[in-house]
Amino acid sequence: MAVTDAGPLYRLPLAGEEEVAYEHPVLGSVLQAPGLSLAATGVDRLLTWGLTNSLWMFPMATSCCAIEFMAAAASRVDLDRMGTILRGTPRQTDVMIIAGTITVKMAPRVKKLWEQMPEPKWAIAMGSCAISGDFYRNLYPVVPGVDTIVPVDVYVPGCPPNPEALMHGLLRLQEKVRMRRAGQLVVREASPALLELTRPTIARLGDPARDRALDRQQEQAALHATEAEPAGTLSEARPPEPPATQARDEVTPSLEALLRDEFGVTDLPADAAPVIGADRHVALARRLRELGHTQLVYIVATHFPEKAGARPQPERFEVAYALRSVGPGSHVAAWRLSLAPGEGAPTLVGLFAGADWQEREQYDLLGVRFDGHPDLRRLMLPETWTGHPLRKDFAADAPCRPWR
Amino acid sequence: MTVLTESAARAGVDPHLAPASLDPEADLMLLHFGPQHPSTHGVFRMDLLLDGEMVLKATPYVGYLHRGVEKLCEKLSFVQQTPIVDKNDYVAPMTNEQALNMAFERLLGVEVPRRARWMRTIFAELQRIASHLLWLGTFTLDLGGALGGGTTLFMHCFRERESILDLFEEVSGARFHYNTHTIGGNRHDLPAGWDANVERALRVIESRLGEYEAMSVANSIFVARTRGIGVLSGDLALELGITGPNLRASGIDHDLRRDAPYGAYDELPVRACVAREGDCLARARVRVDEIRESIRLVRAGLAGLPDGPICGFKPIRQPTQVKIAGGQAYVAIEGPRGELGTFVVGGGDPATAPHRLKIRAPSLHALSAIPYIVPGHTVSDAVAILGSLDPIMGEVDR
Repeated sequence: MAVTDAGPLYRLPLAGEEEVAYEHPVLGSVLQAPGLSLAATGVDRLLTWGLTNSLWMFPMATSCCAIEFMAAAASRVDLDRMGTILRGTPRQTDVMIIAGTITVKMAPRVKKLWEQMPEPKWAIAMGSCAISGDFYRNLYPVVPGVDTIVPVDVYVPGCPPNPEALMHGLLRLQEKVRMRRAGQLVVREASPALLELTRPTIARLGDPARDRALDRQQEQAALHATEAEPAGTLSEARPPEPPATQARDEVTPSLEALLRDEFGVTDLPADAAPVIGADRHVALARRLRELGHTQLVYIVATHFPEKAGARPQPERFEVAYALRSVGPGSHVAAWRLSLAPGEGAPTLVGLFAGADWQEREQYDLLGVRFDGHPDLRRLMLPETWTGHPLRKDFAADAPCRPWR
Repeated sequence: MTVLTESAARAGVDPHLAPASLDPEADLMLLHFGPQHPSTHGVFRMDLLLDGEMVLKATPYVGYLHRGVEKLCEKLSFVQQTPIVDKNDYVAPMTNEQALNMAFERLLGVEVPRRARWMRTIFAELQRIASHLLWLGTFTLDLGGALGGGTTLFMHCFRERESILDLFEEVSGARFHYNTHTIGGNRHDLPAGWDANVERALRVIESRLGEYEAMSVANSIFVARTRGIGVLSGDLALELGITGPNLRASGIDHDLRRDAPYGAYDELPVRACVAREGDCLARARVRVDEIRESIRLVRAGLAGLPDGPICGFKPIRQPTQVKIAGGQAYVAIEGPRGELGTFVVGGGDPATAPHRLKIRAPSLHALSAIPYIVPGHTVSDAVAILGSLDPIMGEVDR
């Protein structure tokens, strides 16, 4: 079968297409020795039996599916009774279970770990992220399916798949190993006996009558809520007035007085935190800390691209900060900086050690510079990445060769 | 020269400087720990500079699971985002959904019916039990051989956690990634007989919790591995933005459920579980205590659960139905790992999506303590410290 340059390195054979079963390097020559074939066949049968029933697993576990994988290994499903053992090192394992999203930062490591596993080896892609990237598929940091970097033998669909589904996948892999040792292709239709064995045990899923009743009940509850309301959709009929309560939450009278008396800020917007000049910013943080706002809550930058039209606005970045007072009556004091492109924000690292990572994250994702930061490197994306993905002009599906 | 001029960290380790006690003659080793390691709780890497077994400097690296969730949320409509944020903190999806939808509700000015608020509170507390149980199981697994292979408690904790997942499956049809919160309330009402099932599960967990305590926080080997290890001072914890059990274990009496009540917590008084020492043992004790407190809260919540509608918003027929023209909001709740917040800027293009959405993830702040508290301990202690912070990489990297 021809492999083109453009396609993935490995793929499953299509129906009717020939594929060579795995060939053991020693077994082939042994079989050619006259008279030995009968004995070798017996040995091979024994080897295959041992191989299929002691598939040691390497957990390439990254996200949610890893939790279901752990649940499958734990008490209820108990995957160990299939003869599997979890090993932390790829060098002792036969099966790599890729459970979770693989990102472009992780992909080289996955490939390296796969190459460290001894032959013969198999891979199970568990969950829709490993299979195709799921809804992250078209996003800049995600590998669209792990089969673009390692050859996958069994796909276990689900988000995440039940532990029972993973068990089913493992049984299918055992079947595949057996059949390929015998030089046969795996049958594609699911075995009804296996499906029966791994059916979910929750009664409600197998009880259509109960489901319909529950649906009706929920529909009634939803309609009951609707009738009490005036006509028209809430969101469209009502102007966004609630921000008034928002401002009250985050600009307490004490913060308002502080801003007016000590920082000369009189313009307090109703729908967001007040804007402070960059020169007074560190002084405000210090003053708030003295007043008991000792906990760093967040540092968030937002990109506002240039806007034309009736009310044109130049391109700008806003950085929102919040500090919290702890204990009973806890509340948040929030403020914003408004920055022109290229303008830097004074760092808060000297005051709050936690600003270190927060500022690095905003620098990484939006390209906002924080002047005076001792270590302004990327936090989330690889060091080699170009561009800042949360800027509005950055394409969400930007490619990253060779991984996506 | 330090840059942390006014920070509480200035007295201790400054991660931006080379370690002060560096002996030029010493035979040092740089150990790459992770990103694929069974005890890193996901894909987390730290570079440990070692003198023998002793860590001189620890440099954490995150981002191996950065999936671009915030960019995705700018592309999707408000109603499509609940199942997306489920995957952030994948050990506690219920609280993720709650934090997200509460932020949208505040921007829209939607009133959540009382029954829905109580249901959300019950879900959040059950989720806290499940999350802490998973933490206890995996933490003893981290401590490893000292605890009889460590898998015993892991098996027990997962068994109890399954009983809570079954309860959620009865409500929403999913083991996790429930997608049951919606703008204005909940999507699924409680099925008949659910409270009896909850009571049965709680009674089992409660009866076995003492045994688990004896196997963990009251076990002399466990105590030897965790007492005095990774001490985090209260001042530094506040500065780093550390919240939840990690903060309360450092002697700061702060719990958003009590101090800034939301949901049904204004009617259900919460006792904050606090410990003074700030070490791994204190963090473990606080979490075990919180399981008990959550069991009490679930019972109180079910006893006082009011009747009425479960959603205060029009049923959502199409994704583009909800529009937010402008404004900003930050809403925070007390998740199992701490202050889980959603910062949302309205007025996106189109208005059916947010202009900017940021998840304030407690685990990211917890991990930023690593360079301050790991140096001075051995490699095996570094594993214990990392486990005791209870990080979930899905919400760290988003």
